[in-house]
Amino acid sequence: MRRATGFAAVAAIVATAGLLTGCAPSIAADRPLVVVTTNILGDVVGELVGDEAEVLVLMPPGADPHSFEISAQTAARLRDAELIVANGIGLEEGLAGHVESAEADGVPVFLAGDHLEVLAYAEGDAEGTPDPHFWTDPARMVDVVTALGEELPAELADSDSASVDVDRIAANTEAYLAELDELDREMTATFTAIPEARRALVTNHHVFGYLADRFGFRIIGAVIPSGTTLAAPSASDLRELVAAIDEAGVPTIFAESSQSDRLVQVLAEGADRDVDVVELVTESLTPPGGDAETYLDMMRVNTARIATGLST
Amino acid sequence: MFSRTTLPPITAIALAFTLTACAAAGGSSDAAGDDSALGDGHGAIAGAQEMPEPQLHLLSLDETGTVSHLDLLDESVDELGTVDGVADVATEGRYGYLVRPDAGAVTVVDSGVWTWSHIDHFHYYRGEASVLGDVKGSGPATVAANGAGAGLFFAETGEAIVLDAATLADASLDERVHVSVEPHDGFIVPVGSSALVTEPGADGAPASVRVVDGDGKLGETVECANAAGTIATVVGVVVGCRDGALLATIGDAGVVEIERIPYPADAGAPPATEFRAREGRPTVAAVAGASGIWLLDTRKRTWALVDAGTPIVQASAVDDNDEHVLALAADGRVLVLSGATGELLAASEPIVVASVADPELVTGIELIADQHRAYLNGPVERRLYEIDFADAARIARTFDTAAEPRFTVETGR
Repeated sequence: MRRATGFAAVAAIVATAGLLTGCAPSIAADRPLVVVTTNILGDVVGELVGDEAEVLVLMPPGADPHSFEISAQTAARLRDAELIVANGIGLEEGLAGHVESAEADGVPVFLAGDHLEVLAYAEGDAEGTPDPHFWTDPARMVDVVTALGEELPAELADSDSASVDVDRIAANTEAYLAELDELDREMTATFTAIPEARRALVTNHHVFGYLADRFGFRIIGAVIPSGTTLAAPSASDLRELVAAIDEAGVPTIFAESSQSDRLVQVLAEGADRDVDVVELVTESLTPPGGDAETYLDMMRVNTARIATGLST
Repeated sequence: MFSRTTLPPITAIALAFTLTACAAAGGSSDAAGDDSALGDGHGAIAGAQEMPEPQLHLLSLDETGTVSHLDLLDESVDELGTVDGVADVATEGRYGYLVRPDAGAVTVVDSGVWTWSHIDHFHYYRGEASVLGDVKGSGPATVAANGAGAGLFFAETGEAIVLDAATLADASLDERVHVSVEPHDGFIVPVGSSALVTEPGADGAPASVRVVDGDGKLGETVECANAAGTIATVVGVVVGCRDGALLATIGDAGVVEIERIPYPADAGAPPATEFRAREGRPTVAAVAGASGIWLLDTRKRTWALVDAGTPIVQASAVDDNDEHVLALAADGRVLVLSGATGELLAASEPIVVASVADPELVTGIELIADQHRAYLNGPVERRLYEIDFADAARIARTFDTAAEPRFTVETGR
């Protein structure tokens, strides 16, 4: 039996998209509070509200949105929020109860999943169930930001603090939507340049369903041989991956592996397949100083890695 | 769903560390130090690192009482300590439970490596291994461990204890539940935050299982004559009974629901009393008489019987696309069968002949199946074997040991 989610403990709090971290943040009493569950949405909401509100992100960068829980203290702060922004679509299993009870207490909740066309997982153990990783498609992020651009000023204007400048939020939203459009144009141009036959992701990453749907990629899920297998591999260990590589006809596989070099070597020697192994950024932003501190950075990094990997 | 109610140890550690970081920061709003503490998320927590693949190890106990931990990735060996008088070893994939009848105790070892399922993907962790300490009782204990925690049952006194996965992750052996039933040869097994404990009939043999809730309150009783053997699957917790298996799951309201999966009317083989399987799959295997193998599909709620064609001492279900079933034959070979057709697909050379022939040692041999490989300990042979069941039962690697690996379990899975 493997372990899964659902527990009670204490969480970290990262304020304002990871720029300012603190465990019992001093509350800026003059600013209204927006609580955001995931760091990707936290980055986006931070861009929209600017200095007009305090943004409290419940998950630090690098954490896993499927499994986060929070303290009673933080749960209490949820009740002070003007708005709670969550991903929904089953992403924040551990937080669902807190979000629901804050909602029952009258705190408005914005679920990103309510504002986009949700896809189901195309394969794997979770096949057929809703896929929460909508952000890999920038157009769907545009849908969410557009909806947020209406909801945020409406809720913040209602707050007790009189200082909120809703025009500022509208301007920020417009500027961010322009950046998302630019991102979308870049990704479209980059991916269109990849011949259609090569638009295939052989991967053990599980978050690219929306990207694939939007930009016409085939996703060919594969079991990547792991450390114990690579120590003394046989043809059967490589069979599934080799079949995926051949089906895709691509020179690069996108995989999380601690032994990329060994995998490349085994594929070359054991199966006569000459491929690169490249890792993508998934699910969570990197910490400050990493490749993908912001949503826009993360998308650009992955776009570049996919394009480079499939074009060489 | 059982899987939704079980506990992820890493989070508790992650969060415990976060608390520490908070205390150090003194609640100050510009806690600069937190950047480094939280800097790389899971990577910085209490010595536990998130890894890109399972940190598979073999935890073995030899005749000198030495607990050793073989890293299957880099083939290094760590000695974790010395524990005397061990009569059995159990695990759920992270903790080793060393049963010590003479001491009337179970010694718990944290291997420091584990895997955590998110249904659509997995997370893999590596931290420090340590001996957590003893849970005291009296005489020999039976241990049933799974993702929710561990059930420890002391037959001589009827003391039944549940350790919680989240508590263990805090390196604490505090009991979540402690109940007493009539002394008998039974067990207690966690089911989410509840548990099932066996109770004896008039003849002293286990005759039923009883639901114990998270507060230790005794609930519903379900008949289960000769209750023996338990295992957790991705579906729920299995308990073997004379007339079939019980399957315990957590219903929507968080209460334990128990179904009975009866043997076929014309079963033609003795009931299963010990289950083995690759973790996280629905199908489990058990020895059925001299050469038979029961396969219980807990998703479909069906039994199937296949015949190995030769006497066997253990069986395990891989439950992969090819429905591989593994068996340890009485002649020391590892057999690979098709669970679908019962056909013998491959067999290794006789590798643990002397160990299987020794009635003292054979009970400590463990045939372990994971996604890619099987593992087997040979005490007399002083060797651990890695078997590629998908490639004609090829011996992929062997690891010589300094002493006799009397008991071996796989950790990090």
